[in-house]
Amino acid sequence: MIYDEPRFKLGGDRFVEMELGDELDFDLNFLVHALTARVRAAALDGIVELLPNMASIVVSYDPERIGYDDVVREIGAVFGAMGSLEDVALPSPLYTVPVLYFDPVTRACWEDYCARIAEKEYDPDLMVRLNGLESRAQLARIHSATEYWVAALGFYPGLASLIALDPRCRLTAPKYNPPRTWTPKGALGYGGSVTCLYPARTPGGYQIIGHSPVPVFDLAQRLRAFRDRLALLRPGDRVRFVPVGRDEYDHVAARVEAGDYEHQMAAYAKFSIRDYHAWLATLDMRVRF
Amino acid sequence: MLEVVKPGLETSVQDFPGRYGFWEQGFPPSGPFDMWSFRLANLLVGNPPGAAGLEIQFLGPTLAFRRDAVVALTGAAMVPRLDGAPIPQWESLAVPAGGVLETGFARTGARAYLAVAGGIETPPVLGSRATFHMAGIGGMEGHALKAGQRLPLGDAAGAGATGLRVRPTCRPPIPEGRSWRIEVVAGPNDDWIDEEGHRRFLESDWVLQARSNRTGYRLSGPEWRFAARATDKGPEHGEHPSNILDHGYPVGAVNLCGQTPIILVNDGPSAGGFINPYTVPSAAFWKLAQSRPNDVYRFRKVSVGEAQAARREIDALCSESSLEKAGS
Repeated sequence: MIYDEPRFKLGGDRFVEMELGDELDFDLNFLVHALTARVRAAALDGIVELLPNMASIVVSYDPERIGYDDVVREIGAVFGAMGSLEDVALPSPLYTVPVLYFDPVTRACWEDYCARIAEKEYDPDLMVRLNGLESRAQLARIHSATEYWVAALGFYPGLASLIALDPRCRLTAPKYNPPRTWTPKGALGYGGSVTCLYPARTPGGYQIIGHSPVPVFDLAQRLRAFRDRLALLRPGDRVRFVPVGRDEYDHVAARVEAGDYEHQMAAYAKFSIRDYHAWLATLDMRVRF
Repeated sequence: MLEVVKPGLETSVQDFPGRYGFWEQGFPPSGPFDMWSFRLANLLVGNPPGAAGLEIQFLGPTLAFRRDAVVALTGAAMVPRLDGAPIPQWESLAVPAGGVLETGFARTGARAYLAVAGGIETPPVLGSRATFHMAGIGGMEGHALKAGQRLPLGDAAGAGATGLRVRPTCRPPIPEGRSWRIEVVAGPNDDWIDEEGHRRFLESDWVLQARSNRTGYRLSGPEWRFAARATDKGPEHGEHPSNILDHGYPVGAVNLCGQTPIILVNDGPSAGGFINPYTVPSAAFWKLAQSRPNDVYRFRKVSVGEAQAARREIDALCSESSLEKAGS
């Protein structure tokens, strides 16, 4: 459900959480990012940072420059002036990321977990079974048959939560219980209905089904894509995963290692929710790739 | 230049207010946990209140000075010595080139702050010198100090009068005992807890677990109870009553992971899938910073107006009007 009016909730003396709805829904998340962009553009005095997520935005403010009531009033006014979402088109760069599905790196991580923490089914097989698929090959086909939308960042620097734009490619996966103590950098994860690329070696709970040699986070800013940033992806960007074989995977890994890898990215792409809705209406929902 | 002889338990370079502008990318503010003591240390040595200094936790470092310096040590009551002789805290002191400063251990409180005139000049990362060791950025090579490292110091010309001290009434009142009253503001997810759950939170003792650090403060206490919103919800929120669709986390959020509340502090995660029924306001952070494992918290609900007024009072105390001549 998308609320008619945002609900403002107190977060101590310098934060406000603005809930725009109560579900995991693309239109709701698009609204979150459209409103975030408008609030940023309005450059309201005293608003320090905005943290958009699935269905809500946490706003940090400087209480010496703006009061809580004024935060609510000013952001409420920006919301009120938004007009129809259908008319909104946001810049949405599209990244193409090579993935080796069912790779040895994540397999070794799963084996380590089984040996040290708890026996569990191999992650890709668990996803095949729970989603009623025929094979690992079909899992890779479905996972790579859609563009993904960067719905949120957070938890760890550079970690982006991606949701499938083609509803026929939405999968579900339970989380590890207990969580992993480590996950390989570059692992392709799936938890709930969100997929992600692990930006660094971190603990984790998502099922891991592949590996990409392409970094999404780089403190040293070695590669060209990181010249103006440490984290590759921003909310509202899109990602497409391309299954590659071992040769291409090794080639990309070598280019990254040499420091001259060029991320494949269409910077000019925009995303119109009207066009997206029109495309959704043309889909044959029986097709499952 | 300052040489690290012994690093202490976990000593880090921090600046105030820390790293802002990159929260959306997952970078928390970091910065000094007890912002009150930190700013006063800087003011004592003639620095701007936000200049980079050291945060010392429980067991402090031993530092060798390679040039003349003016320093001040504030916060937790330590056992500081200069070349073996005891020295006072909350006071600006001269350290000659070659001097060795031992900061000792925390007798009362948990975190002390060392300011050096001119500030510490490690390279800023994303606009701040604050250490965020989980991602390995800021401070001294991204992490806590290590023995043998050399900390660059800024130009102290014009700064650094000695013989100043902070008036006792202007210092954070760190208690000798083990019990604390911690202010909280209800929300953002107070509507996920039922009346009995709120009563238990506000009227029970909560014990600070040893597994607490600059990322989060874990508490032990009674069972939580949930309102209908926590149990009657869409599957995307997750299974447990404390699960919610991923959302941003305010700094200071009392983040409920299952039955364990974790107060998210300076280096905490920016987002995740658990509810935050209460938030500790910034004016109470010094209390968290100065408490020790097994200390007991009682929470006291305040309004946002009261929380902001308390912040203003502390800000007003972090000024030169809180300083006086030592011995006066």
